Amino acid sequence: MANDTGLNRAEVLVVGGGPAGLACGIQLKVLRPETEVVVIEKGAELGNHNLSGAVLEPEPLHTLLDSAAPLWRDSDAAKNVLHAKIDKDNVMFLLGRKLSFNIFIALKLAKMFGLGFGQMIHMGDYSVSISRLTKWMGRIARDIGVEVLCGFAAEDILYDEATGQARGVKLVDQGLDKEGRKQPNYVKGETIEAKFVVLAEGCDGLLTEQFVEKARLERQTPQLYSVGVKELIKVSAEQYNKFSAGRVVHAMGYPIWTPVIGPGMFGGGIVYAGVQEHLSVGMIVGADWKYCDFNTQDALTRLKEHKFVKQYIEGGTVVEAGAKMIPEGGWYAVPRDPTTGSIGKSNVMILGDSAGFVNMLKIKGLHNAIDSGMQAAKAIADCTDQPTDAAVKYTDSILKSNVAKEMKSAAKFRQTVAKFGPLQGMPLSVFGDLLPKFNTEPDYEAMMVAKYRLKPNQDFDKDTFTAVAATEHREEQPSHLTILDKSICQTKCQPKFGAPCITFCPAGVYETIGDEVKPANPSNCLHCKTCQRKCPFDNIRWTVPEGAGGPRYKRM
Amino acid sequence: MSNYIVLVKQVPDVSQITDNAFDPDTGTLIRTRLASVINELDSQALAFANHMRKLSAGGGAKIVALTMGPPMAEDVLRYSLSRCADKVVLLTDRALGGADTVATANPLAHAIRKIVKDVFGGNEDYYIVTGMQSVDGDTAQVPAQIAEELKLPCIAYVTDVEYKNGRFEFTRIISGGSQVVAARKTPVVVTVAKYEYPLFATFSLARQANRTRVFMWGSEEINASMIGAKGSKTAVIRVFPPGKTSRKCEHVKDAQKLAKILVESFSSGNGEPSEEGDGEVGRYILPAKRSDRLDRSFEGTAKEAEDFAALRKTLEELGISDVEQTDDSAKEKILESSEVRFHKKALEDMLEGLKLTEPSYKGEVWVVAEHRERVMHPATYELIGKARELADSVETQVGVVVAGKGLEGTSKELIAAGADNVYLVEDDLLAEFDPIAHRKAIADAIQTYWPQIVLYAATPQGRVLAPLVSYRVKCGLTADCTGLDIRDSSRKGQIGILLQTRPALGGNVMATICTKNSRSQMATARPGVMKRLPADASRKGTVVKHKVDITKNDISLEIIKTELGAGDVNFEAKAIVSGGKGMQNRDNYEQLVGSLCDALDRRLDTSVERGASRAAVEQGFIERVHQVGQTGTAVGPKLYVALGISGAIQHMIGVANTETIVAINSDPNAPIFKQCDYYIVGTVEETIPQLVKALED
Repeated sequence: MANDTGLNRAEVLVVGGGPAGLACGIQLKVLRPETEVVVIEKGAELGNHNLSGAVLEPEPLHTLLDSAAPLWRDSDAAKNVLHAKIDKDNVMFLLGRKLSFNIFIALKLAKMFGLGFGQMIHMGDYSVSISRLTKWMGRIARDIGVEVLCGFAAEDILYDEATGQARGVKLVDQGLDKEGRKQPNYVKGETIEAKFVVLAEGCDGLLTEQFVEKARLERQTPQLYSVGVKELIKVSAEQYNKFSAGRVVHAMGYPIWTPVIGPGMFGGGIVYAGVQEHLSVGMIVGADWKYCDFNTQDALTRLKEHKFVKQYIEGGTVVEAGAKMIPEGGWYAVPRDPTTGSIGKSNVMILGDSAGFVNMLKIKGLHNAIDSGMQAAKAIADCTDQPTDAAVKYTDSILKSNVAKEMKSAAKFRQTVAKFGPLQGMPLSVFGDLLPKFNTEPDYEAMMVAKYRLKPNQDFDKDTFTAVAATEHREEQPSHLTILDKSICQTKCQPKFGAPCITFCPAGVYETIGDEVKPANPSNCLHCKTCQRKCPFDNIRWTVPEGAGGPRYKRM
Repeated sequence: MSNYIVLVKQVPDVSQITDNAFDPDTGTLIRTRLASVINELDSQALAFANHMRKLSAGGGAKIVALTMGPPMAEDVLRYSLSRCADKVVLLTDRALGGADTVATANPLAHAIRKIVKDVFGGNEDYYIVTGMQSVDGDTAQVPAQIAEELKLPCIAYVTDVEYKNGRFEFTRIISGGSQVVAARKTPVVVTVAKYEYPLFATFSLARQANRTRVFMWGSEEINASMIGAKGSKTAVIRVFPPGKTSRKCEHVKDAQKLAKILVESFSSGNGEPSEEGDGEVGRYILPAKRSDRLDRSFEGTAKEAEDFAALRKTLEELGISDVEQTDDSAKEKILESSEVRFHKKALEDMLEGLKLTEPSYKGEVWVVAEHRERVMHPATYELIGKARELADSVETQVGVVVAGKGLEGTSKELIAAGADNVYLVEDDLLAEFDPIAHRKAIADAIQTYWPQIVLYAATPQGRVLAPLVSYRVKCGLTADCTGLDIRDSSRKGQIGILLQTRPALGGNVMATICTKNSRSQMATARPGVMKRLPADASRKGTVVKHKVDITKNDISLEIIKTELGAGDVNFEAKAIVSGGKGMQNRDNYEQLVGSLCDALDRRLDTSVERGASRAAVEQGFIERVHQVGQTGTAVGPKLYVALGISGAIQHMIGVANTETIVAINSDPNAPIFKQCDYYIVGTVEETIPQLVKALED
């Protein structure tokens, strides 16, 4: 209806209002204020779909803000978001339910000797809420003239095979009922055309993966994922003070890895000081786990029961929770054009977690996301009249930046672990560049008929978990989760593995109804997409539901 | 071609209330901790207006969204623009803050006049469309008060609209049924109770919205007469957390066990749930009748009562018996006392207050009767019961005013229920309820006799009539009260005033309100909350006929069709089984509710009635007459079983007087689980057959 107003066209369209996308928008307005930049975000508000630990390495953010909002340091928002500078950094090795050893000294030594592990030190970084950070960046973006529109979900990227360019994106249809019939308020998903398309959707982006396929981008090794679950727990003032405000703890070992008898999964736990009297407790587990009855939340339960963690959170209340995936494949899993090597193609650039800029040695990607947004902005500003050069320019810029430098230094770490398991893999990875590049399989192929030895007796309370994640979707819409071939569930998966999706989905979306496994509660979905990466038969697809649905993280 | 003005309001998102939203010390809600959203019914009203525009093919018609609030309320206007609004107006001014419903309706009405002049070019063919009520205030008064200020008809509780022969026909909810009506002329105020297709924002309109100018008007631009706290006719004197529910909220794991509980709870207990909201100090006594003239134990707030008790003790200790002659040195002595924790100004006010013995208001306590063809709504009797208590407290009489046709026969029952005087306003034109004609009749009677208190039932009819009448006679009105008490506010020189306590913010807080700048104190009370007195046929009373000049011009609506559910529903039954949206379809409802009713009937040897939530009725699972809740019937059985009912406040209000509430719902977060005694988390399809079987074993 409004096509003729030109409002369905934008010079630069950023898909995803997270740190990467917003950084791109902000930087672009700094470099070239006349640029028309529109950021669309599927969450109802900025920050709603952003979940992380999070430890922020602040340099890229500082650089960005210094140019965009020079007085930012004095703002209340800055104090609100960057309030916790890390002054206590522990890496604990947990053994069994009670023992814990501080192995920080080992990392210090590693750093002294220039070994990769040394990157794991977080002193001087900030412990932040990424939801709040995103909201704040959104305000700065709007102030500088970026159009940020929330509640708009894109379901398709319009790729022109002939030119190799993207014409724009198509938004999701709204106002359909469960059976896909049009309701009186039906709105067909609009087409938004753009000269530049910036994909900053986060991990396992819907449009990103479509684009990788359509434009035939390649990854040298498959993307590997991990699944993170996190709870924000309100604890007593005593517990909080005992833990101390500027402290972050990373826990290795129990309950996902123990010597000899297993389990043998990659990952670890986190306990971070959050806002006053709140602690973030989370568990991150490599999605190449083999146990068909495993759920990351089970590991979280065990972590919370461990003597070291329990002392700080016992009696506390979980006030917020959420789940997400983390792209861990590293530099070799970044999708690139086979001819030019560009991260993206032509007028399409892939940023942040969508590209996979997570440094697994640091276990951090937030700073790279912001940095990549800034590099994309530079590229666009550099070739406003030649949009087809954008991806190549962006990639050149990335290669010269700190992003590529540190991604390369950590390039083989995760694959080595995937190949040899945490026990041998982690020490091996010390040899960094000397190692060959190991080929790995996609995560879903790892599933075996094996049981998680430390499974808690009681099922994790997913209902409360999703309730505090405040996730909500309009109920009367078609399911955004599809099982491709139902017969596989019945004839292959259930008899062999007992439908692991029912267990591993952190939101309890999947259920057996009658004899059939179904995404019975799509409205509980937390948009973590674990199901489409972990279904042992690669039989589940996640598409985007109507805009404004999903979790509503505020302090995650 | 009609234009549209849609009233939208920004409200706290009460659906997302978390524990940290409550002040740990006072237990009250901290509004800033909640996100702000558009009031859900207003988003439906916006879609409804758009629907009307489409139906009448009024392509050139304008939709103007109007709101009043702080500058941040602009968000709901952007919301409107990104969906269908053409122009938006924000009424924002510090002077407008602190307003009650009267001081909200008045500036909005003035803004509407300005919109008609400035935006519509004086074209008087327009509709004011708005949500029935907001989730924060929940009073449903403002639309009707705007209608009264602008002298427009008001069609309330609308759920649907059709466009026939060049005019709109609206379907609206009435007590126990629905009605199709048309307005005799435009403009008209339409309040939407339900329209399930709120609009989605489109990308292009959302971008357009950010480029559109919002008209910002202050109080001077609209020249309103009653604004802010000054222009208000009610004042909140106290906000407090609702009493912890006495419901047990026990999670029962299997149907077998629940069957046992059902049988046991039905055969035990005395079936007398406690009444909410009533004070703890006992029945009010006028100061002149108290044994000690220094006794001020009936103050509106506990703090005041304590202060007066301290003063009384000090006065006695100092041997001062004559308050009239407390000189400055006596005052100094009082203030030196360790008991006293207030300042001189307060002391002087209190001493002045102690001199007062006469009640501040004069006149009877009235109830506005609601009836259909001379059959009284049960709420009328409940209100008479309450009016009796209030009138006895302030030593006056109970009056009941009835408007209609051929009312002679109604007075006997009203007197038996507790009335002293029955005022009949009879006219053939008053046979059917027409909001404009009836408000004229009732207002005229009030202005003739000036009762000190007027009570209305918070029914679909009462919730429209009360604000129309109160605005017309320039009196404050408090909606949906659950507690009404006579108290003093001696320090402020008020004796024997009506304190009106009501839930707000979706039941998350309680507020106690008093009337000000009014000749009469008015309140509506929810049906089923007050208790009727046993009918006493020997009571004597007088009947007064009051003539009001009603003409055809006073009839604002044409009633096209009235549909009432079949009348043989026995909600007096001791057990009621209700089904909600979770029943999925009519067959399920029939089969599952039916089988459980039968099983309970046999096992408990009592008749069991079927009930339904509004959602279930809307979905067509059962006729509207079975609807339980605020807009249906309020019930108070011994046992209430809610199947697939989420537990919206409007429904739970209607079952508040139930002794035992049992809920079955598949959603573990269903609010009803926090407001019931026993519950099972499970689908109705699975659980009920098990329960039926367990009951039969």
